[in-house]
Amino acid sequence: MSSIIELIIYSIHIVLPFMAFLIVYYNITSMWKNFRGNGPLVVLVNKITKEKIAVNYWENSIGRSKSCDIVLDGPTVSRDHAVMFRRDKGWFISDTNSKTGVLVNNKKINGCEQIYIDDIINIGGVPLLFKRADVIKNDDYVRLNKRKKSMPTVTLMMAVTIFQLLASLELCFVEGVFNYKPLIVFGLLSLIFWSYFIISKYIFKIVNFELETLGVFLSGIGIITLCGADIDSTYNQIIALALGMALFSFIIFFIKNPDRVVKFRIFIAVGAIGMLVLNLVLGTVKNGSQNWIMLGNISIQPSEFVKVAFILVGTSTLERLQTTKNLTEFIIFSVCCMGALFLMGDFGTACIFFVTFIIISFMRSGSIRTVILICSGAFIGGMMILKFKPYIMNRFSVWRHSWEHVNDMGYQQTRVMTYSASGGLLGIGLGKGSLKHIFASTSDLVFGMLCEEWGLILAIISVLCISLIALYGRHSSLKSRSTFYSIASCSAAGMLLFQMSLNVFGCTDILPLTGVTLPFISLGGSSMISVWGMLAFIKASDERTYAMRR
Amino acid sequence: MKNTRIRSIVVYLIATFFFVGITYFVYSFINNSQTWALQPINRHLSGDKISGGKILDRNSVILAQTINGKRVYNDDENVRKALLHTVGDGSVLIPTSIQSRFSTELFGYNFVTGFGAPKVANLSKDIKLTLDSSLCATALKSMGDKKGTVIVCNYLTGEVICMISTPTYDVNNRPNLSNESDDKYEGVYINRALSSSFTPGSVFKIITCAAALDYVDDIDKKQFLCKGEEVLDGEHITCLEHHGKLGLEKAMAKSCNIAFADIAIDVGKEKMLKKAEEMGFNKQYTIDGINIAKSQYNVDYASNADLGWSGIGQYNNTVNPMHMMMILEAIANDGEYVKPYIVKSIGEDSLFPSEKHTELKTKRMLSSQTAKKISDIMRYTIKSRYGDSMFPNMQMCAKTGTAEVGEEKLPHGWMVGFSQDKNFPFAFVVITENSGYGIKTAGPIAADVMKKVYKDYK
Ligand SMILES: [Zn+2]
Repeated sequence: MSSIIELIIYSIHIVLPFMAFLIVYYNITSMWKNFRGNGPLVVLVNKITKEKIAVNYWENSIGRSKSCDIVLDGPTVSRDHAVMFRRDKGWFISDTNSKTGVLVNNKKINGCEQIYIDDIINIGGVPLLFKRADVIKNDDYVRLNKRKKSMPTVTLMMAVTIFQLLASLELCFVEGVFNYKPLIVFGLLSLIFWSYFIISKYIFKIVNFELETLGVFLSGIGIITLCGADIDSTYNQIIALALGMALFSFIIFFIKNPDRVVKFRIFIAVGAIGMLVLNLVLGTVKNGSQNWIMLGNISIQPSEFVKVAFILVGTSTLERLQTTKNLTEFIIFSVCCMGALFLMGDFGTACIFFVTFIIISFMRSGSIRTVILICSGAFIGGMMILKFKPYIMNRFSVWRHSWEHVNDMGYQQTRVMTYSASGGLLGIGLGKGSLKHIFASTSDLVFGMLCEEWGLILAIISVLCISLIALYGRHSSLKSRSTFYSIASCSAAGMLLFQMSLNVFGCTDILPLTGVTLPFISLGGSSMISVWGMLAFIKASDERTYAMRR
Repeated sequence: MKNTRIRSIVVYLIATFFFVGITYFVYSFINNSQTWALQPINRHLSGDKISGGKILDRNSVILAQTINGKRVYNDDENVRKALLHTVGDGSVLIPTSIQSRFSTELFGYNFVTGFGAPKVANLSKDIKLTLDSSLCATALKSMGDKKGTVIVCNYLTGEVICMISTPTYDVNNRPNLSNESDDKYEGVYINRALSSSFTPGSVFKIITCAAALDYVDDIDKKQFLCKGEEVLDGEHITCLEHHGKLGLEKAMAKSCNIAFADIAIDVGKEKMLKKAEEMGFNKQYTIDGINIAKSQYNVDYASNADLGWSGIGQYNNTVNPMHMMMILEAIANDGEYVKPYIVKSIGEDSLFPSEKHTELKTKRMLSSQTAKKISDIMRYTIKSRYGDSMFPNMQMCAKTGTAEVGEEKLPHGWMVGFSQDKNFPFAFVVITENSGYGIKTAGPIAADVMKKVYKDYK
């Protein structure tokens, strides 16, 4: 009898990786399929040459410079003359410190002004007529309607729920006798997922759910893994997931008007630094780094929330980018953040901030020289730190030599390798792993737990899923409603990718072990919440997110 | 916006970093999964979820098994110690052990299901060895606290019935071996029978003898003159005694250095090397998939005197004990040897198809006449020098060796031999490191072990 149950459970177990593959595959393809074609949004007609200029983006720079979206060859056109952009209310044009100004209907504008169809805009002596897009034949629009329909959202969401049900069921039989607790976890998980769906669909009128589906899929893998190791901390993680999804919705709402956020940036920056300072003053030291604040029974990691703030402070609309070109304020802010993290001893997170900082500065300035300068500065700084704090070197000394330090410095890495290999391709079974007894197994070493219990196939699918979400963030940023969303999305994508790399490669001894979390999957409430914040940036960069609701 | 689009490529950079890393991880996972999984730190190996297969000796005595999730070894301390290097101790320290080499078969690990296959489909298999554990224990007792190795093999089938290596320790009572300079446990993790090569000393005269028989004209009638010392190009070759005039048979029996040095010089570098290589020197052999240490013979840069020394097994020659066994097999078996083996069968009682050792192919090493002649010369050595009382009723042929290994150290003692009686087809190799004359150190051990073999197998 027991062997029949064992066989049934094992067949469920080996179905999971294939389900996971299908879930990721259909969600990703569905996300990629639904993009708008390359048709223009509006058209500008040069009144002198009759040339029709397609306006392809939601924000367009206009000027003489080749790097502008709309290049004008007038006698008095400045290099970066103006920015034309679309907001909820309609189209606007903004003079970005040009020499000769912008005239709308022969009236010189002051800063920013809304424009309407058939207005005449004069930029540096070039008169442009503002027209609807249908003056240009739109082939792409036709193609858009011909496309095959992708898998319905609800089907994909159902698939995730079934996946989680099967995984929970497997977990119910770990000890050979039925244990109902994993089903409670499953119930809570589904409750959060489907209430989010109902609220978003019928109250906020959101139509696409692929990104959230993948987010819940990944978080579910993390929570179920955790459930097999330590069921008590699972409930906190589920609460964190709910809070994360709430933050996700809030951020999407909050950054709906990027101009407003840009104005409030200074407060966000001050708030973020304030949080880090508070952390330094009140923080508790856990496992060598002081990056925790205890609020009663709950421990909070402020640096995780600062990640979200960091991107909000760093990103910017095209209008702002063209008027204030220097990065000074952002650099000061970044140095403060990274300095605080170094003082806390949280080097992994400091690295993540640094990489995000480079992405943001590059996306804003486009200057490779600046990036090289920053990197070499950081390299020298890093060397100095290694010189003055030699204990950090210890982490490097064991790096790539963990088998020579099986019972000291390489303890965790060698266990990760041994137990991941024990799982083979299909895994040893949920809740049956041995890695869970090793310190930090559900956070820093969670990738090893995925390999051991779920198998290499599913572990790789999970991390590929995260990387595909990141690549989608980059892809959707190409057509964002504002550079604000583009930069935010790319930074969030880079941050996710880099953090995941540090985690996965750290625990497998490909890089030094730094103790950062694996996005979505690792145990850690603050981390879970902030990852959903990142996901919000990626979601916001998709132009459909803020589509008009008819 | 166009700028932002172009600059977003920076995300690809990090993605590339990730993809390269994850590809590298998958690559090393595929390559190393077995090594990683079968580490002693792995709790799955000792946990009750996985039952390891048994290791049995030829008489089905259990050498190692898993009881209630614990690896349990044989009850007899002597058997445990004697078979340590063969069975292994559950660590990775003895890589040539059965538990290391056949962990996949023993513990049912595979790359696809890991250790996760359901219990119903228990993939672990038992392994039966050709070794006789009580014989091994006897050999260990005779060996005392000397370092070295004893091998006994059936030269008709290739079954190794005894293989021990010392120093050794008891798995159940592991000594503190962290102090590696401890002389008592020097090289304790090495199975000397497989993974070591020793200076052969006079046992190499068997090879020189084979060369003489094949390449020296009228060798049967040839007489050598031993004055106890010989000077070649200003370098000395010495003999233990002043033997005077003697032929090949007597030179072998008395182990005259001058005679064999002269033969080696007479045969010449090329032919000496040719003969040595025909007999398996400088060649990689594997025993049950385990690479054994190579035996070395290299006279490329040898002077005349060096060549002479090489003929009497000094110079830079080394011999692996298991390879020596193969040479003995060939001599005993009309010039053909059977590759020795220790794994008799895998998974005899399991549901899955079992593997039995079937390879009984013989390979020619010597011509049948040469083999016969060497065999007779070695038989004469026993009869004339040591007497048959040493190996009663066994028709034993043998050669001893005393290999000088440096000024301060005592020489290695060797004794190798086999029975001419094909109803008692056993050959033996005994080596005692740094202990003195072969006949006084290895000799008694060989006599003890072979008497026990005779008692049990004749
Ligand atoms: Zn002599």
